[in-house]
Amino acid sequence: MVNYGMVIDQERCIGCHACAVACKDENNVSMGNAWNRILTVGGDAMDTPAGKFPEDGGDGTLSMDYQPTACQHCQNAPCVKVCPVNATYKRDDGIVEIDYDKCIGCRYCMSACPYNARVFNYDEPETVPPDGTGNVEQREQGVVEKCTFCSHRLDEGLDPACTIACPSSARIFGDLDDPESTVSRYVNQYDTDRLLEELDTDPNTHYVNGEMTPGRNHLGDEMESELEDPPRRREEITYEAPGGGDAEEESGGDD
Amino acid sequence: MSTREEKAEAGVVVPEFGTRGKAWIGVLVLAIVVGLGAWAYQLSQGLAVTGMDNVFSWGLYIMLFVLFIGLSAGGLIISSAPKFFHSDRYATLAPLGVLLSLACIAVAGLLLLPDLGRPSRITGFLTSPDFRSPLVWDFGIVVLYGLFSAGYLWLLTRRDLAKLGSRLAFGTEDTEDGREKDRKLAFWAAAIAIPLAIALHSVTGWIFATQIGRGDWFNPLVAPMFIMKALVSGLALLLVTAILIDRFTQYRLPKELVPELGKVLGVFVAVHVVYLVAAERLPHAWAAEFEFWAITSAFLVGDTFHFWLWTVVGGAIPIVLLAVPSLRQKLWAVFTASVLAIVGILFEGVYLIFTGYQDLNIADAPGVASGTDYAGIGSDVWVTAGNYTPTLIELLVTIGIVAIGALIVTLGLRFLPLQPGGGEPVSVGSTERATANPDATTATDGGHDVPDEKTPHK
Repeated sequence: MVNYGMVIDQERCIGCHACAVACKDENNVSMGNAWNRILTVGGDAMDTPAGKFPEDGGDGTLSMDYQPTACQHCQNAPCVKVCPVNATYKRDDGIVEIDYDKCIGCRYCMSACPYNARVFNYDEPETVPPDGTGNVEQREQGVVEKCTFCSHRLDEGLDPACTIACPSSARIFGDLDDPESTVSRYVNQYDTDRLLEELDTDPNTHYVNGEMTPGRNHLGDEMESELEDPPRRREEITYEAPGGGDAEEESGGDD
Repeated sequence: MSTREEKAEAGVVVPEFGTRGKAWIGVLVLAIVVGLGAWAYQLSQGLAVTGMDNVFSWGLYIMLFVLFIGLSAGGLIISSAPKFFHSDRYATLAPLGVLLSLACIAVAGLLLLPDLGRPSRITGFLTSPDFRSPLVWDFGIVVLYGLFSAGYLWLLTRRDLAKLGSRLAFGTEDTEDGREKDRKLAFWAAAIAIPLAIALHSVTGWIFATQIGRGDWFNPLVAPMFIMKALVSGLALLLVTAILIDRFTQYRLPKELVPELGKVLGVFVAVHVVYLVAAERLPHAWAAEFEFWAITSAFLVGDTFHFWLWTVVGGAIPIVLLAVPSLRQKLWAVFTASVLAIVGILFEGVYLIFTGYQDLNIADAPGVASGTDYAGIGSDVWVTAGNYTPTLIELLVTIGIVAIGALIVTLGLRFLPLQPGGGEPVSVGSTERATANPDATTATDGGHDVPDEKTPHK
């Protein structure tokens, strides 16, 4: 069985919001809605640090961390259990998805989701440019929508848009049921936690805190499972630029 | 067609609409038309014209849905519970109570429609239901309760309808045997109604109480609270309505029932606002605070305006009005207490929704995209806390739906014989006195001193 999940290395995240923009673009998300949000941990506003500067009695605990937050793809998903018409459902591969043709727009799932991952089309969807963006059909007014792990891309063997867009390789996508996959290895090897774990929603999104991981393990847009060779450390990978000519890729790890 | 006198004789309390009645109907129809217009506008513009957003995703419609589910309990308390114990002490109020239940459950059910983003797909409840969803169970039970109330109302009035020659009797005949048979049927109907009503209020409570993600919603006391607030608001609405139609129609409310039911209402309010609220808040306050007085004040002092409206306006004041014996005898006091109790229950619903939405579990900046605030490049679409004010559109739609309920009640008064015994002098518990132990009824002097006047309190 496949059980898709994501590891997000908060030590690698630089708070650039590239994943959020890529998500919005790829999934044709209406202005005023967002499936993927990059929260600044602890600060009063976005990009303001938590803690105090060591001055005027401050204790010098200043720190800035980012928490990318989208649908956590819970395996005990409250949103799935509350949907009266089976519009929200869990796929066999672990992805929580919405059938937009069934959704009656009751928004019970939005109350059920502890992560506020779901958004509703209060209005006719509005995009710039007006014809829409990306590769997903626009949802109509009156239905709920959220992150799908870019299931339309997975069908093509491609990683989710946010994963590709991350310039610091902080997002790793793969099969949690495959013990050899990078996501499984990282979950085993590093300190990971899941958001609001005490609520027992059993999310498939894991956050790395503490020691930094080597990040996403391969280049290119394809999913790890599409690679012919087993994934290797990034240092060993050479990258052929599309324009021809070889470019040696720098080490992904900062250490 | 039967004459005005025949109708009054059979128990129709509004034999025909006068100028005032017609004006009232006109107002209701106007409110319904305006409400429909507002809903059409909302359908064309989307729920963007409401005050809801991605954080505060349920608003006035659901707050009032909860209220009207509670209000629909009145008929049951007054008709089923006594019937179940073979008492007809409150028989004068039974058909009216069931009519109110029917109207309120209709309003509650209709209030769900404008809350839906795609109401045309509501058939999904039947074609692909997920039986894990409390909403599926609630939907089913609201429909069932509505149908049951309609059937029960017909059962209670069909012999009088037959007497009246009304087509609504659907072939029922007015015979003494038939009436006896109906009394037996009414007992069994009461036996069904009680578990059905308990299920209705509990399942509605569990819509909220099952949700781990919304603060205080996840609380095992929510379902018992819903039962209790149904008893409070249902009885209060019945008292308010009975007093009003006693005043404005030929309906006669036995005078001594008012303080008596007022006393029952007082007990309900006390159990709800004093006991259950304490049971809910004390453990939290005790665990969170250390000093005795800190625990006491954390437990007694509420944090929001809605909380005070609920516990003081809807709790403390009605309890005083209903607990003081000399006040309880006064019609105005019972009436005021009932109105305030309903206001209190309304704000309990508002309070419940607010406790779920005002704080986010993950409230780091920038927060959640509101979904409603985009007005061009550079708009701030982010929110980190729930905020809600209903819009005019929501108010108009809601008033329209409530007017449908009022219209159901009004038409019921006009076409259904709601006064058992019809034109006969009204009395309390007549058969009860005839059959039961006399000692059991003398305490309240039930019905002995009711003079043959139409509106005893005027």
